[in-house]
Amino acid sequence: MLKPPTAADRGDSPAVRSLPRIAEYLGLMAVLVLLVALFSALSAHFFSRITFTTLANQIPSLTVIAVGMTLVLIAAGIDLSVGSVMALGSAVLALARVEWQLPLSVAVALCLAVGLLAGLANGFITVRWAVPSFIVTLGMLEVARGGAYLVSESRSVFVGAAMGRVGMPLPVIGLSPAFILAVLVVFAGEVLLSKTILGRYIVAIGTNREAVRLSGIDPRPVVVSVFALSGLLAGLGGVFHVAYLESADPNSGIGLELSAIAAVVIGGTSLMGGRGSVVSSFLGVLIIAVLQTGLAQIGATEPAKRIVTGAVIVAAVILDAYRHTLGNRREHD
Amino acid sequence: MHPGSRSHTGALLLAVAAALIFSGCGTEREPSRGTRRSAAEPPRIALIMKSLANEFFVTMAEGAKAHQAANSGTYTLLVNGIRNESDLAQQVALVEQMMAQGVDAIVIAPADSRALVPVLGKALRRKIVVVNIDNKLDESTLQQVGIDIPFVGPDNRAGARTVGATLAKRLQRTDKVAILEGIPTAFNAHQRRLGFEDSMRGAGIDVVAVQSAHWEQDEANTVAAAILREHPDLKAILASNDNMALGAATAVRQADKTGQVYVVGFDNIPAVHQLLQDGRVLATADQHADRLAVYGIEYALKILRGETQPHDTQTPVDLITTAPH
Repeated sequence: MLKPPTAADRGDSPAVRSLPRIAEYLGLMAVLVLLVALFSALSAHFFSRITFTTLANQIPSLTVIAVGMTLVLIAAGIDLSVGSVMALGSAVLALARVEWQLPLSVAVALCLAVGLLAGLANGFITVRWAVPSFIVTLGMLEVARGGAYLVSESRSVFVGAAMGRVGMPLPVIGLSPAFILAVLVVFAGEVLLSKTILGRYIVAIGTNREAVRLSGIDPRPVVVSVFALSGLLAGLGGVFHVAYLESADPNSGIGLELSAIAAVVIGGTSLMGGRGSVVSSFLGVLIIAVLQTGLAQIGATEPAKRIVTGAVIVAAVILDAYRHTLGNRREHD
Repeated sequence: MHPGSRSHTGALLLAVAAALIFSGCGTEREPSRGTRRSAAEPPRIALIMKSLANEFFVTMAEGAKAHQAANSGTYTLLVNGIRNESDLAQQVALVEQMMAQGVDAIVIAPADSRALVPVLGKALRRKIVVVNIDNKLDESTLQQVGIDIPFVGPDNRAGARTVGATLAKRLQRTDKVAILEGIPTAFNAHQRRLGFEDSMRGAGIDVVAVQSAHWEQDEANTVAAAILREHPDLKAILASNDNMALGAATAVRQADKTGQVYVVGFDNIPAVHQLLQDGRVLATADQHADRLAVYGIEYALKILRGETQPHDTQTPVDLITTAPH
């Protein structure tokens, strides 16, 4: 087991450390509440339990992928391949289930293995040849998409009940097992980041990789594991995706990497690395999902949808910047 | 394509060289092969598609390849697609490449009904036969450029109207329905939407929402779920393709409204067959994707043989309400 370093290692008391975190959540929560209030005012049917359970059941894929993306961005990398890797995993899963008639557990394991392998390849190539992860994962975006077309013969595959009820709402609570798992992944990601040595190394590498190396720690295994984790979570996203839509579409997840990056950045994670929070990324996912669902529900036109979504992403980040300057001032006072 | 053509030229040069070396002075036949090609060699036809990542166009291309394999003495075929459906520049470049290769005919599914017209005009001036399939080129743009290109393809609007009419039989006047549109700028998306609207208006049914889900399953699911909540008394969702119908059918099931909300689609992809059988999708339309390119190729071959042809040719669209066995 990894022994978590105490807060004293970082030179600040637990109280100081937890304060900005809570403020961070509050800021994003405010944006979320504002959006919900706005859509509730615009549509008579928005503010209902069914809206929120449906929304929750739609986001598990994006949520787990955003968790992986958060860790990658904090380590000062980027993973552009997540959408394609998800599609490749989905295609393999559908094939395993429908064509090869494999048991669900084996098919799911295959899908996760595909994600993990893609992530390992990303990480390994990044550190072995010191290629920027932007380029490596851009390459993987193409390779995995091609792979998805190859295994699915560019066709949508209907899976139906072969995925069990993973993506279907549970009775009474109305949430799907996939959503509950995704929330658990969020908390596991947050614990990994803030309470383990690996998490500390990820932050340290994102802040100053050279300093980490000079202090006698090899950053390479850490970077590889971060990309491997992102790939694995993209594979998990594929499982959720197929479970939810009852089918696998080789064109799914195009542009998903941008949604994930948007969610993570709205959550305040720095694109430059070294700073971020997994729970905040989850709030970012919720903001994007509420926006998407709300705009569809009020029947917004296509141009309006695009313009509003873009504007909210930028506005949320500006708000975040303000909150940070305020927070820093308070700390320095 | 390039390596292929290079090796073709390479083989030709080798043949010429061999002929010159082994027969000394060389016969008349071998060196003149290049000019003879258009007269005696089978014509070369270029099929230029939209995205070959799209199931529909893959089926089209495979149909064309199968047709060519069965008629290998009649013509040779070059199949090319673009990376994604909105990449117009790449498709224009493809047309130019095919012109440079000196193909005899171009059969094209244009990614845009206006932007491709000028470059196709250039091809016509080079005496290349051009046949338009799938997505009809814009009449007024053709007139502006001063060219005439025959269209061989299905009437998407009429097809959507038939699907809509089948649905209308299950509904009553003033019932509420929603339409999921494809990419709004695509001609087919527009035609199918109009066809759906025609049939609904004709039956006095109320179209309460029209939203785009860009042909995508995932987005269709999100949009359909939102529409179902906003209009709790919705009776049907008309999806402009089957991928979106799949997404809508899942949304209906997740909203616990299976059997209360009908879903119809378009394209008859294999993934939708199970849903047709279960009744979760009521109807779809089959425009025989595997034959679409073939119709265009056969049309081009007839022109090349000098046969006169009717200007535009409509290909069949069939209503599908049960899964094939």
